[in-house]
Amino acid sequence: MESQTIVANLKATAQRYKDNEAIVYKDRRVTYSQLWFDVCRIADFLKQNGLQDGDRVTLVVENSPEFVASYYAVLAAKGVVVALNTAAKHRDIANWLNHCGANWLIIDEKHGEFAQLHETFNDEINLLIVPKDSDSLNTVSSNNWREVNNSYTDSTIPLDIDPNKPAAIIYTSGTTGTPKGVTLSHINLSSNVSSIVAYLGLVSDDRILNILPFYYSYGNSVLHTHLAAGATVILENSLTYPHVILEKIVAERATAFSGVPSTFTLLLRRVDFNNYDLSSLRYITQAGGPMTPHHIKQITDFLPDASFFVMYGQTEATARISYLPPEQLFEKLGSVGIPIPGEEIEIRNNKNQAVKVNEKGEIYVSGDNVMLGYWRNEALTSEVIVDGWLKTGDLAYKDEDGYVYITGRSSDMMKVGAHRISPKEIEEVISEIPAVSEVAVVGVPDPMLGECIKAVVIPNLGVDLSKREIMAHCKKNLAIYKLPKLVVFTTELPKTASGKVRRFMLIDID
Amino acid sequence: MSDAETQVRNYILDNFLFTEDQSQLANDDSFLEKGIVDSTGMLEVILFLEDDFEITVKDDEMVPANLDSVSNILKFIQSKQA
Repeated sequence: MESQTIVANLKATAQRYKDNEAIVYKDRRVTYSQLWFDVCRIADFLKQNGLQDGDRVTLVVENSPEFVASYYAVLAAKGVVVALNTAAKHRDIANWLNHCGANWLIIDEKHGEFAQLHETFNDEINLLIVPKDSDSLNTVSSNNWREVNNSYTDSTIPLDIDPNKPAAIIYTSGTTGTPKGVTLSHINLSSNVSSIVAYLGLVSDDRILNILPFYYSYGNSVLHTHLAAGATVILENSLTYPHVILEKIVAERATAFSGVPSTFTLLLRRVDFNNYDLSSLRYITQAGGPMTPHHIKQITDFLPDASFFVMYGQTEATARISYLPPEQLFEKLGSVGIPIPGEEIEIRNNKNQAVKVNEKGEIYVSGDNVMLGYWRNEALTSEVIVDGWLKTGDLAYKDEDGYVYITGRSSDMMKVGAHRISPKEIEEVISEIPAVSEVAVVGVPDPMLGECIKAVVIPNLGVDLSKREIMAHCKKNLAIYKLPKLVVFTTELPKTASGKVRRFMLIDID
Repeated sequence: MSDAETQVRNYILDNFLFTEDQSQLANDDSFLEKGIVDSTGMLEVILFLEDDFEITVKDDEMVPANLDSVSNILKFIQSKQA
């Protein structure tokens, strides 16, 4: 029997809207029936080649029709899909592969770390390689991706999936210590999708222009929700040329666009919205940290007919926790809104008791969207899941109408653009430089990215160490978005009596 | 190597690859595909071109054909200064 899962949803959507465009990528337009056929044949290939229930299948594939088909194929084959950050370097990817005990790696041949990963893991993990020249499953020319093409002629696959079992793992941090692998069940994914589809009012006529990476929870939810509605997901994988985004919205008559605050900052700075007819846009969503009221006002002035949804979420809650109904945008400006349908939010003090209206505390969340836990880490899981409630680490209060206002974070994590980065990851890499005695890293305010990374370094006595040497080492070992923007040298780090670095005091060191 | 080529190459090597080693950058290397410059870095590249070569980069000129490699940038500068 087929239970409520996002892959069963896709099957139903593909039957209902078979000729609708599901994915638009470069000059390719993949319909729902094509997508479903690709899902079935990749799933069949994986099973024919030994995939067992619960095996971890990692994806290092950029946003593309191949990513989407592979993701759903893993779910259909009853594997656990682990989509990894495609900007990551070999050391992070290798660490994640080892941590999740990957049985399979599906990887873009054009990925910058492909050769090294291929050499390291070819004997240990089954590889499925998406070739460089792939422009669809039907025209591939190299290696085992062709076998996928040839292996299947049917469009049926049994979906007798246990919805309580793990469906996906999303890593939220890199190399330091034990990686945090947020483990989501099929129910987690499908319940969050249903809630979001309901409050955004998604329909099959919607066409979203997506620039968010699918390996993060925000992009992941954009993908699943629009496919669940039979809508079209138009892929544009870079914000480097901002006007291209707006040209595409116009050309594709897109009805939706989603971004993080830095997305909108970049667009507002570099592009004159007046030059584009953006009247097709029905709604805009924004998550990933607070956006300035000034920028919200600018966007809504440019797009008076589009609904603007401010949203808040966390990977540990699958993606979405709350949303601000657009009609309340200016009345409740600064709020992240109310719980999504089917979920509860409580603000609690450090004694785990609910606080009163307008009193600050920590956000706790309960609902079907709360993760199963961190992959193979019960200790860490028990720190954040308390009696079935997710302890988010975000500090907030609720007003008299139940609207949530976030006031801060209780963790050290930095938020650079769409990325959540642990300072420890950067410190670990910089401390590998022999000339470095001590290093501490902190996020400092940045007008474009929200926060940027500042490294404060103490060189060894008598050693000549330049910023360039530090940056060159970082460039080699860190993804581009993790590179410090500021590097300053000092002779002493501010510390507590117990020797812990006072990170907030690093901000003022010149 | 022309003056412009030296200037552009050294700017990219200095600011994005953090090295003086000329062998680290081929003129046809795609900045995006090789992970050399990201979206915020591209804004810095544009400011560098506008300041150092006294050109204005319009919205519709911000395309990979003009900006995604040293070769493309050199051709773009030449066309703007022609």
